[in-house]
Amino acid sequence: MVKVTETMNLLSTEWEIERLPFPRPDDKTVDRRNGSHRTPPPIESQNYLNTQQAMLDQGVSKVQLTDLRVRFGEREILHGINARFIDQRITALIGPTGCGKTTLLRTLNRLNELVPGFHVEGRVELDGMDIYRDVRDVRDVRRRIGMLFQRPNPFPQSIEENIAIGLRAHHIVPRGEVHDEVERQLTEVGLWEAVKDKLSESPFGLSGGQQQLLCLARTLAVRPEVILLDEPTSSLDPVSTQRVEDLLVALKSRVSIVMVTHNVQQAARISDYIVFLYEGRVVEANTATEIFVNARNKVTEDFLTGRMG
Amino acid sequence: MRRRILDIVMWSLFGVALALVVLPAIDIIVGILAQSAGSWSPELLFTPTSGVAGGLLNAWTGTLMLMALLLIMAAPIGVLGGIYLAEFGSQRLAQILRFGSETLAGVPSIIVGYVIYLVFVVKFGWSFSALAGGIALTIMVIPYIMRSTEAALRQVPTNLREGGTALGLPPSLTIRRVLLPMALPNIMTGLVVAEAIAMGETAPLIYTAGWSNSLPTAQLIHQPIGYLTYVVWTYINQPFSQAHQLAYSAAALLLVLLLLLIGLGRLISARASRFNDRFQV
Repeated sequence: MVKVTETMNLLSTEWEIERLPFPRPDDKTVDRRNGSHRTPPPIESQNYLNTQQAMLDQGVSKVQLTDLRVRFGEREILHGINARFIDQRITALIGPTGCGKTTLLRTLNRLNELVPGFHVEGRVELDGMDIYRDVRDVRDVRRRIGMLFQRPNPFPQSIEENIAIGLRAHHIVPRGEVHDEVERQLTEVGLWEAVKDKLSESPFGLSGGQQQLLCLARTLAVRPEVILLDEPTSSLDPVSTQRVEDLLVALKSRVSIVMVTHNVQQAARISDYIVFLYEGRVVEANTATEIFVNARNKVTEDFLTGRMG
Repeated sequence: MRRRILDIVMWSLFGVALALVVLPAIDIIVGILAQSAGSWSPELLFTPTSGVAGGLLNAWTGTLMLMALLLIMAAPIGVLGGIYLAEFGSQRLAQILRFGSETLAGVPSIIVGYVIYLVFVVKFGWSFSALAGGIALTIMVIPYIMRSTEAALRQVPTNLREGGTALGLPPSLTIRRVLLPMALPNIMTGLVVAEAIAMGETAPLIYTAGWSNSLPTAQLIHQPIGYLTYVVWTYINQPFSQAHQLAYSAAALLLVLLLLLIGLGRLISARASRFNDRFQV
């Protein structure tokens, strides 16, 4: 879906991204008004299992959820999720507010464990390993599955230390090479030129977009295999948003990305697969093209066309 | 029109409430400074007390020594306890700890003093001493430090705590490098207030530190120590004007030390919060 000219050299700032024409809501090819003649299957249907199979056929599944149920105290938020997130692809989790997108995302790196009353059933597998049962060190899971938050959250340390802290904690590079590695990571996200003279200063002096890039660099520095994004651009301006999106697309060559977004256009722009959640269930999961061109469920279509949520 | 009247009435009430707080404070400060103004001299600061006359050298150095002892003992225990309550607080042990700390905070200071007197001064045979006084003050302020540290940590945005966790940092590292730098200004403020509370205490010291006309030494037990609040409390009841002068001077000196303490706390907070001053919540 994305070709990068020459090799995938992320260190070069001159890479270009060639996008295939993704269907957008305003595209003529997607005429949603005519879509209503299809009879959408009910929400509870097993339709998504078939489309999941289709997804799997197209790539290696990196993270796999089997009958995942999550509750906080007495309240069940996710009612049996089955989904696969394909390696080296971007999967967008979309759905109306309160459908459980963020809960699902935070279950993938066991971050919900910080919340009192959190209870999980079913399986969350990373490369076939159940991250809730087969894991001795949860910290290593969290290193392998990185996360970028809705609002930039740099640590109250110097800009350099923000990157270095993860490098040291996970022994990513020998101590003597930490500084060079910090430069590499900052260069990769395109922040090096802007911050090279103020590495020892507070990150809170940076703009919101720069802070988010710093957080992305911090996450990438510990060599994650999966990156979870919780509406990563919702607090950013359009230029920074563009920058983050370009980076994500470029990053696909080495990580799988799972992204929660409220922005359907964003999902259309950069995601390869879409999982549509509604009231704690997967209603539809398919390639982005298929979902946008040919949503099989009425609810999905209503959501995509803005009649809901 | 009705809204306007209500407005005026409410603002007047606020004004009265403010005045009720501020005026007594001003009255106290001005009164004490005025009463003691006549006796300010280098001799006051640099000669020890003799009988009901002399200076306050032994008293203010004694107070500073007690404050130092307090900081050494209370700050680590209180801050670590507060970290425990904030970060691991859902466990049973933490609940017991919190209950104990809250109970301790409600115990009258004279009773704390009396318990320390029975245990350390009498049973351990330390007699009136700096260490016994320091321990009494420590027990007084530990609940306060624990609570303010816990509150300071809980005020750190969840966002940051989750950032550290999501990066796979060990909890100790997240606490040290992410949470404490954010919470430090508030923790420091808590420590300063705790010291200020302790500086103004008289009751727990009378039973434990005793009183001495000579300067404090490195000997922490078997030797009583002087302190400013003793002068204020005792000398004002003496039938000599010299003693009254000394009591007012001691009170004024306490105020000055308090202001210095607050200023110092601000300074340290400002340095400690080098990286978090512009955090956008």
